[in-house]
Amino acid sequence: MAKLEAKNITKYFDHDGQKLTALGGINLTVEDGDFVCLVGPSGCGKSTFLRIVAGLQKPDGGQILLDNRPITKTGPDRILVFQEGALFPWLKVRDNVEFGLKIAGIPESERQQISDRYLDMMQLTKFANSYTFQLSTGMRQRVAIARALVMDPDVLLMDEPFAALDAQTRDLLLVEMQMIWQKTKKTIVFVTHSISEATVLGNKVAVFTHRPSTIKKIIPIEHQRPRLAEDGSLQQYQQEILAELKPEVKARGVE
Amino acid sequence: MGANTAAKKIGFYVGIVLVWQALDMSGIWDDNVFPSPLEVGEDLWYGAVDGTLWFGIGTSMWRLIIGLAIAIAGGIILGVFMARVPTVNQTIGSLVLGLQSIPSVAWSPLAIVWFGLTDAGIIFVTVAGAIFAVTINTYTGVKNINPDYIAAAQNMGARGSQLMTKVLIPAAFPYMISGFKQGWAFAWRGVIGAELLFSFLGLGFLLNVGRQLNDVSQVIAMMIVIMLIGILIDGLIFKRLEDRVMSRWGLR
Repeated sequence: MAKLEAKNITKYFDHDGQKLTALGGINLTVEDGDFVCLVGPSGCGKSTFLRIVAGLQKPDGGQILLDNRPITKTGPDRILVFQEGALFPWLKVRDNVEFGLKIAGIPESERQQISDRYLDMMQLTKFANSYTFQLSTGMRQRVAIARALVMDPDVLLMDEPFAALDAQTRDLLLVEMQMIWQKTKKTIVFVTHSISEATVLGNKVAVFTHRPSTIKKIIPIEHQRPRLAEDGSLQQYQQEILAELKPEVKARGVE
Repeated sequence: MGANTAAKKIGFYVGIVLVWQALDMSGIWDDNVFPSPLEVGEDLWYGAVDGTLWFGIGTSMWRLIIGLAIAIAGGIILGVFMARVPTVNQTIGSLVLGLQSIPSVAWSPLAIVWFGLTDAGIIFVTVAGAIFAVTINTYTGVKNINPDYIAAAQNMGARGSQLMTKVLIPAAFPYMISGFKQGWAFAWRGVIGAELLFSFLGLGFLLNVGRQLNDVSQVIAMMIVIMLIGILIDGLIFKRLEDRVMSRWGLR
């Protein structure tokens, strides 16, 4: 069943007084329980698309449907994990994780129960009382993921959350992310610029064209999990994605 | 504070008192115009013993606290709205910048006309002196919030007053503390200035009484008290608050 549908999403930008078409009609269907990775040349608008799905930006045309209902506003049914985490520096790790629950008016004892579970899942229990500046970038992204998961969103949106991490930390999180997905059965839409990351994580990889971007191809990745970044048998998928992506990156290059 | 710094400080102040005493003993000025440190100390002592000093301090502090509380609450609300609602910024915002340039004492004539020689008049001057510094710093703070913080909070369901109290204000707090510090300094000047003009109790009033009685040692004594209270409040309250927030954010 389609959990999330994007129907002909368009978005324009004003660039030095020029109207620039960022999204030229994105159509995407995400099934319940899908892990869809979006890849594309940089500047193609995949992050913008994700923010539109989150309801944090308005499209200039088209519609986002969640469980067949059109959505117009942002809300905790679609939680976005930001590239830089966007953790609140004035709150301790636990309070960051519980933020959305507090907003929802959930009583403290219940909040603590829920946050304990996800702090444990993300191996953050020891750091519950730390402030975010005391954590490494990798730990901060764990907090950001925990903060998103406590909301039990219908769809989890992730905007290049591992882009700023060192290779070892990222490899570790790539494995954990697959386990989280299998454990929680969440529907995930994940933006990345890394082809290998996309093939490790996704059960589908959607390739964006250069601006005005559309989705060029959706490549299903049928491969056992947990997958590792250095997994040689993912290479055929990576080649396939690269072949789709190359002309798009070139088109961007000559601009 | 290291022992070395403390020693330097103590040495400096002892030096001032010694120079002061020497100038007094040189006889250049008449004792009525230039009292000795001892006479000023005596004046403080008598004031402390008969209670006038404590009553003066209490009165001024009470006005300061009320005025500053109103200024901080009002300034935060005004600043947040200026930062978040373009129309408010385009209209009230320009006025706030202008009003901030008015020294607090310049509000006194209006305050006297509107409120008479009352506590309310003095508190009005205090608020008027302090509120715009809080407003402008709050505005700057909210404007400088990482937009992802706001987006993340809205995404998690925060709206309206929850967004304001749980995100906008705490996120802007490092800036707002500068506003509180400025605001408190302006408020303290406002209280003393207004008390001088209103001549209605408080340390500013005692200062003025000293002038009227040609009692220069009382004038100097009151100035020292005003200064000491300034140092105490800054160090005990605002410096601590700032240190706490900065270390929590990892900014220091």
